[in-house]
Formats: sequence, structure tokens, C-alpha cells
Amino acid sequence: MKQPKEIFVRTDHCTGCHSCELACAIAHSTGQTLYSAIAEKPVPKPRVYVEWVNPDRAVPIVCRHCEDAPCMHACISGAISRSAEGVVMTERDRCIGCWTCVMVCPYGVIGRHLEEHKAYRCDRCPDREIPACVDACPTKALIYQSATDFSQKIRRTAGREFVAGQGR
Amino acid sequence: MERMRYVIVGGSAAGMAAAETIRGHDPHGSICVLSEEFDAPYFRPMIPFIISRNKKVEDIFLQGRGPYQAKGIELRLGTRAVQIDTTTKQIHTSRDEVLPFDRLLIATGSRPSMPDDISGLATTGVFALRSLEDARQAARRAESTSHAVLLGGGLLNLKAAFALLERKIRVTLVVYSPEVLSQLMEPADAYLIRQALDQAGLKIITGRSATKILGDDGGVTGVVLDDGRELGCTMVCIGKGVRANTDWLDPEEITIDQGLVADKYTSTSVPGIFAAGDVAVTFDPIGGNPISTGLWTNAVEMGRCAGANMAGHPTAYGGTFGILNATQVARMPFVAMGVVHTAGSNLETHITRGKSTYRKLVFSAEGDRLVGAVFIGDIANAGLYRAVIREHRNLDGIKRQIIDHRLHYGHLLYA
Repeated sequence: MKQPKEIFVRTDHCTGCHSCELACAIAHSTGQTLYSAIAEKPVPKPRVYVEWVNPDRAVPIVCRHCEDAPCMHACISGAISRSAEGVVMTERDRCIGCWTCVMVCPYGVIGRHLEEHKAYRCDRCPDREIPACVDACPTKALIYQSATDFSQKIRRTAGREFVAGQGR
Repeated sequence: MERMRYVIVGGSAAGMAAAETIRGHDPHGSICVLSEEFDAPYFRPMIPFIISRNKKVEDIFLQGRGPYQAKGIELRLGTRAVQIDTTTKQIHTSRDEVLPFDRLLIATGSRPSMPDDISGLATTGVFALRSLEDARQAARRAESTSHAVLLGGGLLNLKAAFALLERKIRVTLVVYSPEVLSQLMEPADAYLIRQALDQAGLKIITGRSATKILGDDGGVTGVVLDDGRELGCTMVCIGKGVRANTDWLDPEEITIDQGLVADKYTSTSVPGIFAAGDVAVTFDPIGGNPISTGLWTNAVEMGRCAGANMAGHPTAYGGTFGILNATQVARMPFVAMGVVHTAGSNLETHITRGKSTYRKLVFSAEGDRLVGAVFIGDIANAGLYRAVIREHRNLDGIKRQIIDHRLHYGHLLYA
């Protein structure tokens, strides 16, 4: 079986530029451009969050689409399910805005659309080849790969460093 | 290998979550779910929408929605389990069937607790909203109701109250405690919620209870309070908590103490028989005390755990907080979890009262562990606080952020 791709975060690459947040909000707007998005009501919301930890670390946080998704099992209206691609989705029309998902998400990545009284989250940009946040990241702090490919790359880098170290 | 026979008694949160999990682990075993109700499994917390008529019955059915996608689960509706033969491993049903099992889950849930100091509870028009059928009947009764009196100030009644308000029915809530939601927070914590309820047009009488329900041929005509006051109404809802459905079990055979006692692996005192959901007594991870909760979310979690254990994947249940509620009433969102009743305790408590938000963070007496939280108005990132409580997390470098409600996942990684 082909492994689905996921969004991996390399916090050591993040400079805290917030490009991902902006791109995410635009991707989830009606007009799909920065200029139209700014004027939209309600204001389009990002589903990725760049947070700051003192003294100097920026941390992009995005839904992990957990294998054992607490939000999906906690939902009292059956609004959260998993797609064939492994994406945990909140079905807008079924959401009743009880915020149980917010209460159980250990990453704090479920947003609340107060105007609409609905929860929202990363949908991994179903209409795009690469999620908007990953596409927008100038430092490749966000990576869109399968877990196998991502870990293989880490192993190779580690291997190269190891061999280089031995040669000295 | 022989095909395993799984029987589940109870077709709600715990039972269906267990069935789903068993199917995930064991594609071949037979899974049979008995449900006393005649309706197919549904999302029980959604029944207020049936009363308000904002949703249709078919919109709240469970199977095929959310995580409930498993195939090959046999449902026997309108079927009550009446007796378990633990030696022959058979269950007897109200339809005189005898079902053999290899693994049995008891997930018979709970029923509304009915006060014994109120007369006239059997009058037509008196409801204790538990099942979809209760909600259907209440929705019908609401057609001829202009004033309803709700006894009890818990979440169930608040949700029922708003469902009725949406149908333009006047609602009076009679609460024995000094304030609404007394199980979920202290009176002083609830002022924003109370304000929102008052503004929404709900009439609330606190510090009083009902003594008598009056009625005639057409059903309820009024409620008499303990100060002698009489409130005219044609509908009454009782929301006074729930009790575990253990009456059908033999306490000589299986250990019962306020509910069905389950060990860390969700097993009852009888090997091969498991318990989950409202019927079960479990423990809270903060103090380790035995509790039963009556919450959908907890029932699902325990049901999934029991399902894994039944299918041969030993899984320890992490226990649950007695209080673990998120909801929104009268446009006021709130979350209450863990230990939140602090009066008379030596717990370290930090309260921030605002005009539109309120928060209370409760730490251990030594101040080194978070044990509870109430967020009202702004509930952002509540799940992080739950994780901190549940994991007994060390607070070095994050306590200030917790008190200020600024915690984010980055802090848990790098602070």
C-alpha cells in the first residue's frame, strides 16, 4: 500500500515568518487571493499556527491527523471522520459547535469559527498537489512527504554525517 | 481458530465504540449488540435537537457517521438482557433467546435518577430526557405547552431549556443548589453563564426544590415548590443526574459498588466479562478515586478500550476526570475539567474574572501540578490543559503560561 503523505514540521528550520499562516488563510478563502481574502467577511482563518517559545524558537503547529484521533472519537455529533487518504475531517454542516474536540485535542489545533459557531481545522488542502502552507514555507520547515520517505531522508543525512565523521 | 463470539449489551456510546474497535482488530468474529431501545444507535447528546426540531431523527443516527463505519455488526433492537449465566457463558434476553458468548461487554449505561421526595412523577407530561423516544414524546408535548418547568440545573436541563426556548416556550429552571451547573463549577465561577442564561430569557429559581407535581386528565398542570409557591405549567423535565443500570445483574456473581466495578483492563470480576460506559465504575487519574461519569466522550473512550481488551489486545484504561465538559449555552462557551471545586481545600487556585471571559486554574496544594481548569467565554487550546492535567506534567517553565491561558503546544515541546 502506498503510504499517504503527511505534513512534517522541522522546527529548527522555522524562522517565524508566518508565511504558512497567510497562505493557509488565503487557501481557505472564497477569492483565493491575498487582496480579496483581506476584505472577506468573516475573515478567512489559518489552520496552521506559528507560536513562539522564549528566547528564540518559532514553532509551527498544525493538525497531526492523529492515527488515534481523540477529536474524532470524542465528537458527540459524528461530524469528524477520516478520509481514505487518512485525513481527519470536520464536516461543517454536522458540527454543532459544542467544542468537545477543542477540549480533547492535545495539540490545540482546532479553531473555533465564532461567527458560524463551527469548529475548523487543517484539511490538508484537498484540491492542491501540495498543501498551501508547505508550498509557502521559504525555509522548508514544513515538509509534505510520506513517513517512510521523511524518515529515510533523516537516516541518510545521519548516515552521511556518520561516515564523514569516521573519515576524519 | 474458532470464530470468537462477542456479545455487547447496550447499543450506545460504549457498546458501539467497543463493537467498532473489536471489528478493527478481529475481522472474522461475530459481534452482536443488544439494545433495549427500538431505535438504531444514535448520538445520545443530540436529542435536544429533536426537541427543538432543528434536526430530524435520521440526522442523529450513529452508524456510518464519524468513526462508526464498521460492517458486520449484528444489532438486536428492542432486546433487553435479563440474565447472564457465567458458568455456561450464555446470556438470556427478554425475547427468550439464549446467546452464547466468548467475550461479553456490559454497557447498559445509566438511567435518570428520579427524586423520591417529589409526588406525581408519573403524571403525563413529566419527562426525564434520556432516550430518543423520550425526546420524541417531549417534542410532541411541547406542541401544547406554553410554560415548562425544569427541575435541576445541570447541563442536560440547560440544553433542554434552550431547545424549548427555541420553540418559543417559556421555561423556568428550579435549582436546589445556589447556582446552575453546580456539579461542574462553583457558584462564583458561573456568573457569566448565569448572566447569559438570564439574558436569553430563561427564568431561574435557585435554592428551591419541588415537592409535588400537579395534574389532571390532560397531564401536568403545575409544580409546587418547597416554599409553597405553585408554578403553572404543562410540562416538567427532571434533570437530577443518572444511576448505573445494574439492577439486572446478580451482585453475588459480579462485583457491584455504585456501578459495575471494572479493573484497569476494563474487566469485571468475572473473567471474559467486561464493562464500559456509564454503567461502569472507573477511577480518576488525578486522585485515583473510583468514579462513574455519565459522559458520552468518556463512554466512547472506555468502550474502545474494552473492545481492544476483548479482542485480545490488552489495553490499560487511563481513567477519566469526573468533570470533563465542553459546551456552549446561550452563546457562552465553557469548559470544566478535573478538580474545580476548591472551596475549603488547600489547592492553589488562580482566578481571572473578566467582563466576557473567566478562567480558574487549579493546582495541587504544592503548586507543582495542574489538577483542574474552568474556562468560560474563551476556551482556546483547552485540550492542552487537559493533557497537562492528565499526564501529571511537570510545570517548570509553563506555569505562568497556564495561569495566563497562553499555553500552546510549542511550550510543551521546548519550554
